[in-house]
Amino acid sequence: MRIEKCYFCSSHLYPGHGIQFVRNDCKIFKFCRSKCHRAFQKKKNPRKVRWTKAFRKSAGKELGVDPSFEFEKRRNAPQKYDREAWVKTVEAMKRIEKIKHKRSSHHIMQRLKKAKVLDKEKDIKEVQRNLSLIRSPAAGLKKAQEERMVEEIHESDEEMMAEEIEL
Amino acid sequence: MRLVQRRKYHQGITTEKKKYRTKRRQRDIDQVFEDLQPEKRQKLENQPLDLDKPGGGQFYCVHCAKHYIDEIALQEHIRGKPHKKRVRDLQEKPYSIEESERAGGLGSYVVPVKEVKIVEPMAD
Repeated sequence: MRIEKCYFCSSHLYPGHGIQFVRNDCKIFKFCRSKCHRAFQKKKNPRKVRWTKAFRKSAGKELGVDPSFEFEKRRNAPQKYDREAWVKTVEAMKRIEKIKHKRSSHHIMQRLKKAKVLDKEKDIKEVQRNLSLIRSPAAGLKKAQEERMVEEIHESDEEMMAEEIEL
Repeated sequence: MRLVQRRKYHQGITTEKKKYRTKRRQRDIDQVFEDLQPEKRQKLENQPLDLDKPGGGQFYCVHCAKHYIDEIALQEHIRGKPHKKRVRDLQEKPYSIEESERAGGLGSYVVPVKEVKIVEPMAD
């Protein structure tokens, strides 16, 4: 039994599921459901369709490059049955799955963290751009006028003092 | 009884269905990508005379995998938008079965680099 991958969305394809298309150059295209098959018929590029694995990995939304992905492989040579090896493989599979999960979730968390910083930057920029909506442009004018009045009074005081000295 | 009877709204719309039939299938983009390799391309551009094909098979656009009836029609096509779009699409390495497997977890998925190839105009 072999679990295949869908040509379009790269999801699992269990025996008895999906449909396959054999092109006239003997290449076999397997599809998990009619949604993927139809998209293929319409000659859609899986790298540009947002719900496929190819899009998510090429856009950096999911972890794509990692040594933990190298274990699962298409092995065409049949292996001789060996109980010990079998037990070990099953143990290893569980372990690898755990590591894979941890790394991919770490990748997502890193992205979320970065998004937070970027969001904050964006918010600050937006507030600065539209500051006039929050604070009236005339808000500073009254204070500035008062300050100017105080300065004038000071100046006149100094003039008075100077006159007194002269006298 | 229902007040409004269900009508067959999509009856007679056959063009969409016919477009996607295997019978009308044309060369896929990955096949065309292989056709564009110099050796194969040379062969496709200089085909022997075949009267069953449009224009005797003498005016073939490799990018779009289409025969034209004469030089004027071919040049008109090359000047058009669909051809230019096709040329642009072919600058990238096409998606393959192997890539779909890597995206599904059989090996690492390395982001395909956009190969910028200089696509020279077709030989006259």
